[in-house]
Amino acid sequence: SFGSMFPVITTPEATHRGQVRLGRARQVKGGEGSSMPQLISPLSIFSLRSLFSRRVKDSRPVEQRDPGWKLFGKIQPREGSIKDPKRIQKTPGNLYNRAGPGNPTSPRQSVRKNLDFEPLSTTALILEDRPANLPAKPAEEAQKHRQQYEEMVAQAKKRELKDAQKRKKQLEDRCKLEESIGTAAQTWNQEILPNWSTMCTSRRVRDLWWQGIPPSVRGKVWSLAVGNELNITHELYNICLARAKEKWNTTPAPATEGEAEDAGSSDRESSLELIKLDISRTFPQLCIFQQGGPYHDVLHSILGAYTCYRPDVGYVQGMSFIAAVLILNLDTADAFIAFANLLNKPCQMAFFRVDHSLMLTYFAAFEVFFEENLPKLFAHFKKNNLTPDIYLIDWIFTLYSKSLPLDLACRVWDVFCRDGEEFLFRTALGLLRLYQDVLTCMDFIHMAQFLTRLPDLIPAEQLFQHIASIHMTSRNRKWAQVLQALQKDQERGSPVLKR
Amino acid sequence: MQNNHHKEHLYKILVIGDLGVGKTSIIKRYVHHNFSPNYRATIGVDFALKVLNWDQETVRLQLWDIAGQERFGNMTRVYYREAMGAFIVFDVTRPASFEAVTKWKEDLDSKLTLANGKHVATVLLANKCDQGRDVLTNNGIKMEQFCQENGFVGWYETSAKENINIDEAANCLVKHIMASENDMLQSEVPDTVTPQLEKDKGGTCSSCFRSQ
Repeated sequence: SFGSMFPVITTPEATHRGQVRLGRARQVKGGEGSSMPQLISPLSIFSLRSLFSRRVKDSRPVEQRDPGWKLFGKIQPREGSIKDPKRIQKTPGNLYNRAGPGNPTSPRQSVRKNLDFEPLSTTALILEDRPANLPAKPAEEAQKHRQQYEEMVAQAKKRELKDAQKRKKQLEDRCKLEESIGTAAQTWNQEILPNWSTMCTSRRVRDLWWQGIPPSVRGKVWSLAVGNELNITHELYNICLARAKEKWNTTPAPATEGEAEDAGSSDRESSLELIKLDISRTFPQLCIFQQGGPYHDVLHSILGAYTCYRPDVGYVQGMSFIAAVLILNLDTADAFIAFANLLNKPCQMAFFRVDHSLMLTYFAAFEVFFEENLPKLFAHFKKNNLTPDIYLIDWIFTLYSKSLPLDLACRVWDVFCRDGEEFLFRTALGLLRLYQDVLTCMDFIHMAQFLTRLPDLIPAEQLFQHIASIHMTSRNRKWAQVLQALQKDQERGSPVLKR
Repeated sequence: MQNNHHKEHLYKILVIGDLGVGKTSIIKRYVHHNFSPNYRATIGVDFALKVLNWDQETVRLQLWDIAGQERFGNMTRVYYREAMGAFIVFDVTRPASFEAVTKWKEDLDSKLTLANGKHVATVLLANKCDQGRDVLTNNGIKMEQFCQENGFVGWYETSAKENINIDEAANCLVKHIMASENDMLQSEVPDTVTPQLEKDKGGTCSSCFRSQ
C-alpha cells in the first residue's frame, strides 16, 4: 500500500539519468532530463569563441536563451530572473561553461537562483488518497504514512536548500571572477601590452600572468611571448597554404596503391587523409572543427600549410589539438605563425619529430624532479612499473589541451608561454601532487587509466597551488642544467637511459 | 604458481592498427557498451580494463589502446612488453589500412615473443563492416588464407557502431591466450616430464620473459 500512496518520488537529478520513472511529472513535455544536450547547444557553440576572443557578442547565459526547461509545472522557471534581473545580466554564462558531458549547462541553475522557492522534488511528491475501490487503510497506518511523507518532504527541502545555497555561492564567485577578469583585461590592454618589452619581465606582470591571462588578450600575449623567431609573414603563410591546396587537388582523394608507395612513408604520413581523419577527432565535443563546422577549414588550412612549411616534420598526431587551441585565440595567419614557432621550440621539436632518445632524456629529467618533489609517489610508480611515457606523451604532445578542461589548459599555456618547456613538466608534477593520495592507493592499470583520462572537473586554483609548490631545482641545478647533463650522459652512452 | 590458472588471470592485450580504424571505439564498445562517433584521437596510449567470468575463473583484460600513427612506432614499442595477445584492426572502407596489417603484424612479432618462443595470439578485426565490405570482397584475398599465412588465430568482421562480433572476437582471443598459457605452464612444472609436448622449447622460461 506504500506504493499507491506515493506514486512519484523523484528528483530532477534522477530523471536525468533516467533511473527513476516519472509519474505525474512526465506530463510536462520538453523539459525532461532526457533531452539534456550531451553536446553544447548550437547557439552556445557560436558564442564559444567568445570564450577566447576579443569580440564578445552574446554574453547572455545559455540557460536564459534556452526555451522551456520546465520540469514541474508549479515552479516559475524564470522566477530568479524576474526577481533579480541585474544579477542575471552579470552572469558570465558561457564564459566558464566547459563544453561536453562533464559539465552540461544545467537548466536548474536558472530555476533555482533564489532561495525562497519550494523544493522541486517535493512538488512531484503527492500524498494521494487511497483509491475508492480499495478497502480503507487503518488509521494507524495512514498516520504512519503521513508522518513518513512529511519526513521525506522535510528532507528533500533541506537538500534543495543546500543545493540552492551552493549554487548561489557559485554564481557569486563567478561574478567576482568575471569582474576581476574585466579589470585584468584593462590592465593588460592599457598598461602592459603597450609597454610589452619593458614590462613583460617585471614582477607585477609575472604575477598577473600566473593568475591567468584574460581571454580577450590571451592570443595577443601568447603571440608576443612565443615570438616569431622564424620570421614568418602572412604572405609566407598564404604561399604555404596555396601549395598545400595545390597538393590536395592533385592527389585523388583515395590514394591508389601505386601512388602511396611512390610517395614514401613520410609523405604518405603528411597526407591529407591523415589530417582529415584527425580534424574530426579534435575537440569533437565542441562541434566546431568537424566537417561543416565553422573552424573546420581553418584547422585544415593551418595543418596543411605546416606540412608544406616543414615537410621534414609533416603532420604528427597531437598537432591538431595545438592548432585548434591557437585558432580559438588568434586569427588564422597569426595562429599559423604561433603554431610554427611553438613547434620549433626544442622540446616540441624533439617530440614531434619523435626523436626517441631525446624524448627519453626529457622523461629522465622529469623523473629527477619527480623523485625530488614527490619521493613517495615516485617510489609507488617505480614499484608498479608506471613509466612517464605512459602519461607524459599525451600531455606533452597536446600541451594538455586534450587532457585538461579547455579553460584550464589555456591557463597552463599562459604560463608555458612565459616559462617555457619546464612548465609543462612542472604542470605534470603539479597534477601528480594534486592527485597523490588517490594515486597511491591504485595499482598500475588504474593509475594508467586515471592519468590518461583525468577527472572532468579539476579545481583550477588548487591545481595551480600544487604546481606552485613544485620546486624546479634539484641539487642546485635548474631544469635546463639537469636536462643538459642527462643529454651529455646520453651522448656518452650512459646505461641510465637505456631501456 | 601452478594453481594460478584456477583462480585469476591477468592478460595484457594490445590493440593496434592504423590511425582512425576504430581501435578506441572497439574498446569502448567492448568495455563500456556504448559508441560515439566523436572519440578524440588517441595520443600515446590509453587504457581500459575488462573483467570476464570464464568457466568459474576470473579473467582480467588490460587493454592497451595504442596510437596508430606510423611515426610513433619507435616510441610505442615499449608498450608491447609482456602482452599476451593482440588485436590488429583495419578499416574495411580504407584499403591502405588493410595493407598496413601485415606491417603491424611483422612489427608485433619482431618485438614480442612468448616465453615458449611463440608469437602472441593475434586476432584480426575488419572494423566498420556496417559501412561496406569493399576491401574484403574486391581484393581477391581469401581472409582465411591470409590469416593462416600471416599467423592470425582468427579474424572477425566487426562494427563497434552496430556492436557486431566484438564479444566474439574477444572470446576467441581469450581462448587462444589461455591455451598458450596452459602450454607454457605445463612446460614450467618442474617434476612433470612431458617430452613429447615441447619439441621446440629453447632455454626460455616464463620468469625470463617477465623480467624482459
